[in-house]
Amino acid sequence: MTASESLRVVIVDDEPLARAIVREFLGKHADVEVIAECGNGFEAVKTVTELSPDLLFLDVQMPKLSGFEVLELVGREVPVVFTTAFDQYALRAFEVHAVDYLLKPFSEERFAEALSRARERVQAKAQGTPEPLDIAALASDARPKPALLERVLIRDGAQVHVIPVDRIDYVEAQDDYVCFKAEGKQYLKDQTLAAVETSLDSNRFVRIHRSYLLNIDRLARVELYAKDSRVAILQDGRRLPVSRAGYARLSKLL
Amino acid sequence: MHPILARSGRLALYLGFWIVVGVLLASLLVTQVRFDWRQATLVALPLALAYAFVCLSAWYVSRSMPLAVTGAARIVLTAVTASVISSSVWLLAARIWIQILARRGWLTDPSRGTGGLDTLILGFGFLLYELSLAVSYLLAAFEASREAERRALRGQVLAREAELRLLRAQIDPHFLFNSLHSISALTGSDPAAARRMCLLLADFLRESLVLGAQDRIRLDRELGLIDRFLAVERVRFGERLGGQVQAEDGVQACLVPPLILQPLVENAVTHGVAHVLEGGTITVRASRTPSRLTIVVENPADPDRPRGIGTGMGLANVRARLAASYGTEARVDASEQAGLWRVELSLPATTESS
Repeated sequence: MTASESLRVVIVDDEPLARAIVREFLGKHADVEVIAECGNGFEAVKTVTELSPDLLFLDVQMPKLSGFEVLELVGREVPVVFTTAFDQYALRAFEVHAVDYLLKPFSEERFAEALSRARERVQAKAQGTPEPLDIAALASDARPKPALLERVLIRDGAQVHVIPVDRIDYVEAQDDYVCFKAEGKQYLKDQTLAAVETSLDSNRFVRIHRSYLLNIDRLARVELYAKDSRVAILQDGRRLPVSRAGYARLSKLL
Repeated sequence: MHPILARSGRLALYLGFWIVVGVLLASLLVTQVRFDWRQATLVALPLALAYAFVCLSAWYVSRSMPLAVTGAARIVLTAVTASVISSSVWLLAARIWIQILARRGWLTDPSRGTGGLDTLILGFGFLLYELSLAVSYLLAAFEASREAERRALRGQVLAREAELRLLRAQIDPHFLFNSLHSISALTGSDPAAARRMCLLLADFLRESLVLGAQDRIRLDRELGLIDRFLAVERVRFGERLGGQVQAEDGVQACLVPPLILQPLVENAVTHGVAHVLEGGTITVRASRTPSRLTIVVENPADPDRPRGIGTGMGLANVRARLAASYGTEARVDASEQAGLWRVELSLPATTESS
């Protein structure tokens, strides 16, 4: 970054006053340009995708999408400074490589410190220096097992779908993607079925087949199809193959 | 466990009393039956100590007929029967004991005045057993009152703890942090508004402390507190947060536990309106029939909102407090329908005069 280039910043917070104070503090730094402000997570995903800013000031608790969900959806390349009144997200913030974590209310000095850290990060990124990952690794070691997902987020261009897990019928592996079937619709996501399996409640979602993860609330019955081969019949009549190992897992749960 | 056998100190005191009884009996033997002192003591002391243990049974007799639930006739009848049986047993023991002593040659002329001895032992035994029964009732009453006292004390301690926990739970610290952040933001752009916000916040905090210290408050004060709370939150959320408090005539004077609505309205903001993009209005409605007070808190809610930290705590707290105050007389119903979250409280309508 040279002196003529400015730091392009997006501010995301659902409270107008919280956005105002970030804007005010940034106003004293000539090399910073606020290119957009967003009042919710959906807007933030859209704006960041379209404008690809250098830095994001991101509130954690917002309507529709939390700050962490926004970050998951836009990819983690954009440097982020979290701003929140809650201290319990700090560890998670390090895991997603946040530049800094500002606890509301914060002082102008503390804010400037976060900003200069962000500048370093942006510069390092521009020069292709890999960022130090030790802290993140430590943090993820210290943290207990990640919490199970309550909802699955899927980005479709600038549009975001939020699917609560209890509305998912089943998940199907399709080449490099997984396909979530919920309420008669399907949503593609760039992820492996194994990764989906670990992030969902294993008492509820069973890997019945190499390519299928089933919500057992949707299961009507299991039928013997041929020797050693079974088929799961869902409540809506749909039929999914069940492997031998899958049947063993299913029987254990039922 | 028998209260006298429960502690060795009590047993010693009890037997000490019976030695005195033994000496009394001995003196009666000397004066009435004309034993000499040595012989009288030899007869009376062991008998008295043996009877001490017989009289312990009076406790169980008294326990089987609590004064509060037993008719006087039954008590008298049972007491007389038990006393007659006990004193008869004692008389039998006395005769055997005298026989043993006589056979050993420690008693001269055992036949002397046996008729007088029988009457004395029977009468004395009867009275002593009646006395034991009376003391047992006294003891039971004493224990009961001590137990009641202990229970009351424990109740007070529990209530106090609950109150403290409540005070901690009442105001979410994040509400404070966020409000302070708003003030910090306003200081730069609009100092007058920052000052107004400080005053609103102070007003709310002071009122919640004053109300929280009381046992019951008038509903209009609780509703006033809700107004103050919403005023503070409106500075943060701006246009997105609306509030509406509707109180029917006659509900203002009704008494409610303090800060019973505040956690519900706080939930309505943090788990309700704050998660809805376009925001919404929180409605608090209070109405009553002659005997019941009904308060409804309604707010728009996003059905897809994450249900993470602290969900359900405030509601559980309100439920527990109402149950503690009114037992089964109070009801809390929570429901969610078509994006509208609704909590209804129903409790007995009481006013200061009633």
